[in-house]
Order: sequence, then structure tokens, then C-alpha cells
Amino acid sequence: MSVMDRVMPDVDPASQEAWVGELTAPGPAGHAAQEHLFDLLLRATRHQVGRLRHQVPGAGTADLEDLAQQAAADAMIAVLGKLDTFEGRSRFSTWVYKFGVLHAGVAVRRQAWRHREVSLPDTLEPRDRLPTPEALVQAGDLHRAVEVAIMHELTPHQRRVTLALLVDQVPVDVLAARLGTNRNALYKTLHDARQRLRACLLASGHLEEPSERSKP
Amino acid sequence: MNHHEPRLTAAAIDGLLLDTSPYLSCDDCFDQIDTYVERLLADPEHRDLPMQVHLRACGACAEEAEALLELLTSGE
Repeated sequence: MSVMDRVMPDVDPASQEAWVGELTAPGPAGHAAQEHLFDLLLRATRHQVGRLRHQVPGAGTADLEDLAQQAAADAMIAVLGKLDTFEGRSRFSTWVYKFGVLHAGVAVRRQAWRHREVSLPDTLEPRDRLPTPEALVQAGDLHRAVEVAIMHELTPHQRRVTLALLVDQVPVDVLAARLGTNRNALYKTLHDARQRLRACLLASGHLEEPSERSKP
Repeated sequence: MNHHEPRLTAAAIDGLLLDTSPYLSCDDCFDQIDTYVERLLADPEHRDLPMQVHLRACGACAEEAEALLELLTSGE
């Protein structure tokens, strides 16, 4: 018996296949299959909302349940819309769970930042405004080199996105919503910015090429 | 709008200088995450470099992978 069989013993591939087929069937069979799908999504969204509840400390039990229910409803639309892209590479239930987890995470992060401003600065606080001379010494050469590279190597858009995500810790979904873009595009911007910063610091000798052992 | 200038911390520098090659987009990560998590559960030694690099560099995707792993292994 594999680990997957032990952790999800109730899933039988044949009945799973029949269930996927019934999701688009008319009548009671289709209705029952969709109810089963919603239950599965709700398990995922409740789990994820519970994991992230510290991000919304003002939310009560009913608020959290509302978030989970709404995220499950949104995820249900997404799953049904992408049903024909399911290729059976994983169990259908695992494939379904990822939609629930995604929608619940986005919902919690957006709720947490609902009233918070995202100011999108494109400059850093200068080091001479850091609190103590000791802090300046400890920050060292790399700190200064990174500051200079951010200001001179990145485009204004890369700088704003990078500072918002990695310095101000704005969640990527929240930033995407405020900028009218998506997680994918912001991660690409961040990747390109990181490449530029690394190239600059490698050239200046502030970074060394990673060894094979340091890679994940 | 209330402008401020953020301060660069050591943790932020580590995040800025992460090597995120080979590149994997968040959409591709989402496409593969169910399969990746199942393979990881079946074999803890399973390796997928683009996925591992992405999950180290993207907090939102990493958080979702953890949640998915928990869901598959929890008996709630």
C-alpha cells in the first residue's frame, strides 16, 4: 500500500472517473456529483482559512466560515470551467483541493489587506537615516551595493514591484489586484529584477556563483 | 497617498538576491502542484528543481503547497 493509498484510502480510481463524468450530467446524478465536489472544496477552503486565520485577527468564527463558503463557491466555478483540462496526472480530489486552497488563500489575504494602503514606493530609506552608526557598520558593503543596484539596475516598475513584495511584504495577490495584473506577471517581474540584481552584484564581486551544494 | 520609503532589512536582501533559475511561472506551478505534492508524499526523496526553486522564491505558492500537503495527510 502506497503513502497515497494510506492518506486517501477512500478514493477508488473507477468511482472517481465516474464522478468526474457525472459532474456535467443533467438531473439528479449531476446534482449529487456537484454537491460532492462542493463538499470537497469546502474541506479545502476551511482548512486553508483556518491555517491563515492569524492574518485576519478581527474575524470571528462566522466571518471565517463566510470566507470559506465564498471561496468554495468561487473555486467551484473555476473547477467546473477547467474540468476538461484535468488529465488524470493526479487524483481528481487532489486536483480539486488545489483550487480550494488557492481561492481561500487569495480571499484571506485580500480580506486582511482590505483597508490597508499599498503605497508603491520606488525609493529606499537612505542609510544615513538608519537609527544608529553601529547599524550602518553592521549593514556593511553588501547592503549598500544592493541599495545602489536597486536604484540603478531596475526599471521603475521592477523597483516598485520588488520593494512592495519583498520589503513592504505586500501579498502578491493583493498587489496584483491593486495594479490590475496577476500573480504570474508579478512573479515574472520579480524574477527579472532578481536576475538583474544578481548579475550586477556578481560582476562587482559582492556575490559568488552558487555551488551545486547550495541549490535546493 | 501616504508615501514612505521602505528600509532594506537583512531578510529582504536575502529575498532580493535569491537565484530563481530555472524559471517556473506561478501558472505552471499551479498546473503541476497536485502532481508534485502526490509524488512527494509517495517518495520524500522526489526532486523537481524548477518546482523547488519556485516554492523557495514565491511565498504564496509555497504556502499553498504546504496547505495541500496538510490536506492530503490530515485525517480531519
